[in-house]
Amino acid sequence: MRLRQRKAFKALAAFLVFTLAQVYTQFSFAQPNPANTVLSVQQQLIARLTQHRGRQGITVNGNNVGSGASIVTGAFIETSADQSATINLGPFGSVAIGPNTGLRLDYDDQGNAKVTLTQGCVIVRSRKKAVSEVVTNLGSAGKTEGENGGSYLDVCFLNGKAIVNQGAAMVAGAGAGAGTGAGTGGGISSATIILIGLGAAGVGVAVLAGGGGGGSGGGTNPSPSSP
Amino acid sequence: MSLLNRGHVFICAEPESPVQMQTNYSPYLSQRTLRVIVSLIGILACLLAIWMTAQAGFSRLLGKYATLEASLPAADRAIALAPSSSESHRVRAAVLYHLKQLPDAARELELAVSLRPRHDYLWLELAIIRDELGDSAGALAAFNESVRRAPHYAYPRWQRGNFLLRLGRFDQAFADLRYAAASNPDLIPSLIDLAWGISKRDTQVTVQLAHITTSKMRAAFAGFLARKGRAKEAREQFELADAVSELTRRELVRHLISANAFKEAFEVWKKKGNSEAAERRPAAIYDGGFEGPLTFDEFGFGWRVSRASQSVRLAADSSQFHSGSKSLLIEFLGDSSPDSSLVSQLILVEPSSRYRLNFAARTQDVVTGGLPLAIVSDAAGVFKRLGESAPLRQDTTNWQVSSFDFRTESGTNAVTLSIQRKNCSTSPCPIFGSIWMDSFSIEELK
Repeated sequence: MRLRQRKAFKALAAFLVFTLAQVYTQFSFAQPNPANTVLSVQQQLIARLTQHRGRQGITVNGNNVGSGASIVTGAFIETSADQSATINLGPFGSVAIGPNTGLRLDYDDQGNAKVTLTQGCVIVRSRKKAVSEVVTNLGSAGKTEGENGGSYLDVCFLNGKAIVNQGAAMVAGAGAGAGTGAGTGGGISSATIILIGLGAAGVGVAVLAGGGGGGSGGGTNPSPSSP
Repeated sequence: MSLLNRGHVFICAEPESPVQMQTNYSPYLSQRTLRVIVSLIGILACLLAIWMTAQAGFSRLLGKYATLEASLPAADRAIALAPSSSESHRVRAAVLYHLKQLPDAARELELAVSLRPRHDYLWLELAIIRDELGDSAGALAAFNESVRRAPHYAYPRWQRGNFLLRLGRFDQAFADLRYAAASNPDLIPSLIDLAWGISKRDTQVTVQLAHITTSKMRAAFAGFLARKGRAKEAREQFELADAVSELTRRELVRHLISANAFKEAFEVWKKKGNSEAAERRPAAIYDGGFEGPLTFDEFGFGWRVSRASQSVRLAADSSQFHSGSKSLLIEFLGDSSPDSSLVSQLILVEPSSRYRLNFAARTQDVVTGGLPLAIVSDAAGVFKRLGESAPLRQDTTNWQVSSFDFRTESGTNAVTLSIQRKNCSTSPCPIFGSIWMDSFSIEELK
């Protein structure tokens, strides 16, 4: 009887082990495919684009982008007539792009950048030991000197001619943002106040008619209307 | 008695109210006073409302002016008029940002956010400025708050995804980017482009990073790969997509042909839902008898009809045919450029092979110095002419069967068969009359 019980226990234990093994196997099959691909992506420097003017018009590889867009190496960037932008390479420097500019930006993890300028103007700033080069279809337009702890390259490539370090890119609006100094003067003119006041009368009526109001809860929602 | 009488009156009036008791002493004056008081209160309330709304409206107007002119004084006045308006502070922040005073802009946006903390867009703008200032922790907090306030909006997720990408947190970044692209399909091309760049142009890793699993995503990725010259992978993605719109397929074929990936383009084009197209072998002419409809919008391997000249009319003619029940009728009404193709077709061929092209033609009342003929050219490279027929005879009321041989080059994968005219010895080179063409076929010569 005792021997029979032992055998029964052994059989039961074996059955349980088998059952658990099956359950474990099933769990393994049922698991969703883990996103382990992310691990296969190596860490890399990713640049950031800042748009200085307007909301549309800058394209990266043909897609419209705005401030905060990520720029990976090999990207082709184009600005329209009223756009300028800066690509920030983190601690290694930046590339300021003027209006009507097309370029390809290649860079490595040490911040060494190569700007292939097809048209327009750029200002390249290098920091640390990063070396940047601007190339046009005429060849190299110039290189920054990485060892000096920072340097600057101002290049315009217009009508098949390269203009290097003559301030042409700055004049064209590369890296200048928009309206530096605008509105910093001594206030609004009297005429402006009168004009605004006249407009305000209309707005006041409109606001009354519309029942709108200021205050913290008022105003239009600048969020996009759709997600 | 009189008192009693008056008292009696009072007793009768008592059930109404003590006030009425009083008004009964001087009812006209009391009601008037009350009306005046109520009216005054109303007028004061209206004036106050007008004053407040005028202030708010003027503040907004100044805000708009400040934004347009990047005027800090105007922005300051706007805030002075509506100090508790988040919009005024937002405008001032925008002006400060414009003037490159980023730390001040961030502080101003913080004020705006404190006045309207449930506003996702204010948080997002604050996050973007903090990111620009290099304040990663502050930016992430603001991005998180923006996403929390608008969890289903695409833009906050897209911006946070980009930010996380630059921090190297790829798994979280792509989760956000994918969510945003699912919410707003306009972002799909950007998502694919980012995944492609991050993966160092690896198709499989791109598929996994961007979760390219739906037909829409696969079709978009197929187009992307075709533009990158990855024809084989583009076709694979296209094959994996269940349902692809005609427009997408058309774009894909166009990109593949532009990349000289003719075989892949042919495979994609074949799936146009047309049984003849589906059954077509590579080295064959599609609808050589012009039995199907002729359209101007053919984009692949069917007959492409030119719109170039007003003085040339093309039509399928069922009154004349060499085989089947129709033929192609070309009517010439005067000027037409001998160099431009009237009708053409792309045909897949094998490199370094010999082919014979056959067709039938008849002409009527043709008067010209440059007669029509059939030409075969390489579809890629310098479009080298590989062979041509003899010019059609001027008056052949009966059908004439013609053929000519050509040999493909070592790099030739496709040829273009076109009907055009032989150049005249003088210019201009008009042509009048009608021609019919039918029974086009191609055979490989061993």
